[in-house]
Amino acid sequence: MAVKRRIIKERVPTPERPPEERVKSFVEVNLGYTFELAVKEAERCLQCPYDYAPCIKGCPVHIDIPGFISKLVEYRDDPDRAVKEALNVIWACNSLPATTGRVCPQEDQCEMNCVMGRVGDKVNIGKLERFVADYAREKGIDEELLFEMVPRIEKKGQKVAIIGAGPAGLTAAGELAKLGYDVTIYEALHEPGGVLMYGIPEFRLPKSIVESEIDKLRKLGVKILTDHVVGKTVTMEELMKEYDAVFIASGAGTPRLVDAPGINLNGIYTANEFLTRVNLMKAYLFPEYDTPVKVGKKVIVIGAGNTAMDAARSARRFGVEVTIAYRRGPEDVSARVEEVEHAKEEGIKFVYFVNPVEFIGDGNGRIKAVKFEKMKPLDERDGRGKRKIVGTGEYVTLEADTVIIAIGKHPNRLIVNTPGLKVERGKIVVDENLMTSIPGVFAGGDAIRGEATVILAMGDGRLAAKAIHEYLTKKRESKNA
Amino acid sequence: MYKILEKREIAMRNTWYKVHAPHVARKVQPGQFVIVRAFKNGERIPLTPVMWDREEGWIVLIVFTRGKTTARMAAELREGDGILNIAGPLGNPVEMKKFGKILAIGAYTGIVEVYPIAKAWQELGNDVTTLHVTFEPMVVLKDEMERAVGRHILETVPIDMTKSFPENMKNVTKRLTEKARELLEKEEWDLVFMVGPSGDQRAVFEVVKEFGVPMKADLHPIMVDGTGMCGACRVTVGGEVKFACIDGPEFDAYKVDWDVLISRSGYYTDMEMMAMQEYMKALQGGGQ
Ligand SMILES: Cc1cc2nc3c(=O)[nH]c(=O)nc-3n(C[C@H](O)[C@H](O)[C@H](O)COP(=O)(O)OP(=O)(O)OC[C@H]3O[C@@H](n4cnc5c(N)ncnc54)[C@H](O)[C@@H]3O)c2cc1C
Ligand SMILES: Cc1cc2nc3c(=O)[nH]c(=O)nc-3n(C[C@H](O)[C@H](O)[C@H](O)COP(=O)(O)OP(=O)(O)OC[C@H]3O[C@@H](n4cnc5c(N)ncnc54)[C@H](O)[C@@H]3O)c2cc1C
Ligand code: SF4
Ligand code: SF4
Ligand code: FES
Repeated sequence: MAVKRRIIKERVPTPERPPEERVKSFVEVNLGYTFELAVKEAERCLQCPYDYAPCIKGCPVHIDIPGFISKLVEYRDDPDRAVKEALNVIWACNSLPATTGRVCPQEDQCEMNCVMGRVGDKVNIGKLERFVADYAREKGIDEELLFEMVPRIEKKGQKVAIIGAGPAGLTAAGELAKLGYDVTIYEALHEPGGVLMYGIPEFRLPKSIVESEIDKLRKLGVKILTDHVVGKTVTMEELMKEYDAVFIASGAGTPRLVDAPGINLNGIYTANEFLTRVNLMKAYLFPEYDTPVKVGKKVIVIGAGNTAMDAARSARRFGVEVTIAYRRGPEDVSARVEEVEHAKEEGIKFVYFVNPVEFIGDGNGRIKAVKFEKMKPLDERDGRGKRKIVGTGEYVTLEADTVIIAIGKHPNRLIVNTPGLKVERGKIVVDENLMTSIPGVFAGGDAIRGEATVILAMGDGRLAAKAIHEYLTKKRESKNA
Repeated sequence: MYKILEKREIAMRNTWYKVHAPHVARKVQPGQFVIVRAFKNGERIPLTPVMWDREEGWIVLIVFTRGKTTARMAAELREGDGILNIAGPLGNPVEMKKFGKILAIGAYTGIVEVYPIAKAWQELGNDVTTLHVTFEPMVVLKDEMERAVGRHILETVPIDMTKSFPENMKNVTKRLTEKARELLEKEEWDLVFMVGPSGDQRAVFEVVKEFGVPMKADLHPIMVDGTGMCGACRVTVGGEVKFACIDGPEFDAYKVDWDVLISRSGYYTDMEMMAMQEYMKALQGGGQ
């Protein structure tokens, strides 16, 4: 396709709701591209050759990015066809593009080394991916494509159990179902989706998107048993007996707490509790929805990852003053750039180099203020490339009637205690095929990585599905031999 | 959806639900609980399987009408309807061993949580006495208890209609501590166990402490997921932060920081009352 192209330096912007409007509601902030705008942005891509394209190398699941982008341009006169072709390319590597297009840290992955960056703005790959997925969903193109695949599914007669319905579990379930396995997901909560459902807020990832992904899985024949807590409702041993293979995708659900006096005062939430109340239980609609949440007037969020931004921006939507307190400096904030920008636009304050040492109560069991030690950075860097920090012995106290702790999580203890399952520092140990120390039991996502990303969890889901397929193929063949 | 096989009011503000929940029935042990979400816009609340049949796949929940969720369950759920979600069994079973002579106390509807535990301890060869203190019209499981344990003591307190509910509750607390003291003075005990409001648990613990008898308490902090994911249920035990849903719900009463527990359980009281009032208004409006 040798179309002569003029280089367009600037990104085609995606419309966003203005900050004044969005801090009053939980509706999605970024409105995404229309077909016309998507084509315009797609035209900016230089169509680097597959073997060279730095965007493909940067994407953890190696989507053929120029490949899908070119379809939008090629079939510009037939939007449905363009989207269907593009989706087909994306689906070869990624089954949740509506989600990843919204939540991937694109600036560190696919967009990081985009060649367009040398002459102007990088191509907005994330928003294009999101566009394809959204358009396909709205027009039913995704189901059409899915059901073109379904008649070809050949039943294998083997059963796989998946623990956890987050991105890792959902992805593996889809892949395995397409390969003809009988798949059952065990999910502890009342809704499947994992962090996509209980953690990431509606204004960043509308829940209807996650629901539609799950709907498609059900149509592929995947069974989802909610309210089933593995380790309690069923044991790992029972699953291992009943199924031919097991995939553990239970995430990193247990919140870490700040080890400082006063941590159990009222008004101190973990980000998980706060976000679960707000997102999963819809506490922002109390009392129409029955679950309460208290946001007070002055909120301090401790931490500066995606979880902290989500908690801060959710709290801000209750019309209160919100401050993010981080023990390191601005260059080490780990959240996606877009979220940090949105947080700042929405009026959230950032305080750097402060580490909480005490939570001060009001005498009635409620939080009143947080005492922080001021920190200072050193020139040295730690293993993750972040600047080391030390205490200065100076303190500062900030008032707060609500504190949200967002300093990370460890894997869920209920599974980790399985006899024979090798675990190091709370994370399940796996080999290069994601098999654990127990044959036939595989694991992936945050359960093996600690807190990571949606796309890595998904990538693990795909890899595990492939490995499970190989493992079960051998099992079938040895039985037949 | 879990089908309600039977529903009836067994005493004032106490409703019995027999529910088809085979995934819970096949595994549940005394001391464990479930998390129930009854309505689409509803809360997740912890409740206790009181009885169960592993083969037939049912469990019995006995629920005290306390605030909006439990009131809605009593008013809106019917036999043949479904309960949307029942997750579990959750938490750890109680220790099943021979302690010797056990005093197991239930205040109000707390006795229903004592029932499966006391019954199992008795069956294991312990000498179990149960003490139930509640208001006169709220007596539950009297016959079942009498059949299950060596001795069941029922102490009822009349409701004084001229006084507020919290005022009346003080009489229950008084009777609980008096009766506990009497039993501890007269007899030798190897273990005291108690389920009930945390304020009453603490009041009884203060008495037990004087006698130095080991005591365990089933703690009831506010819970959301019940799987260790949210940290809402955290309690301070022996100076450490514990999650009641995965580390408990039963703890050594001597190590519990009661102030923290009591203050955390009351954190949403104002909002809960508001929700309840709005719900009552809506109910009355709907009834016209
Ligand atoms: C608030 C927040 C914001 C985030 N923002 C981003 C972002 O913008 N971009 C990004 O890439 N990543 C983000 N992340 C990280 C990302 O969400 C996770 O890395 C990803 O969800 C991990 O997927 P998973 O499938 O491994 O686990 P999870 O999504 O955690 O799912 C695990 C599932 O397993 C279930 N489960 C656990 N234990 C059991 C059990 N015993 N039995 C049955 N079920 C069980 C859980 O209920 C849950 O549904 C964010 C995380 C949080 C918390
Ligand atoms: C492990 C455990 C087992 C329980 N078993 C039983 C039982 O078998 N029968 C029974 O009648 N009750 C039981 N409870 C108590 C029951 O969960 C509460 O009465 C119920 O949640 C009240 O909800 P509500 O909306 O009607 O009242 P609300 O007005 O919302 O609350 C009234 C009070 O109930 C408590 N409460 C409210 N929400 C929760 C929650 N999500 N988790 C825990 N406590 C809460 C709080 O102290 C609150 O102040 C148990 C509690 C726990 C922790
Ligand atoms: S999956 Fe994520 S990293 Fe890969 S192309 Fe899509 S947005 Fe970029
Ligand atoms: S690196 Fe940029 S310009 Fe090159 S193919 Fe990828 S998106 Fe297009
Ligand atoms: S209820 Fe959420 S951690 Fe215990």
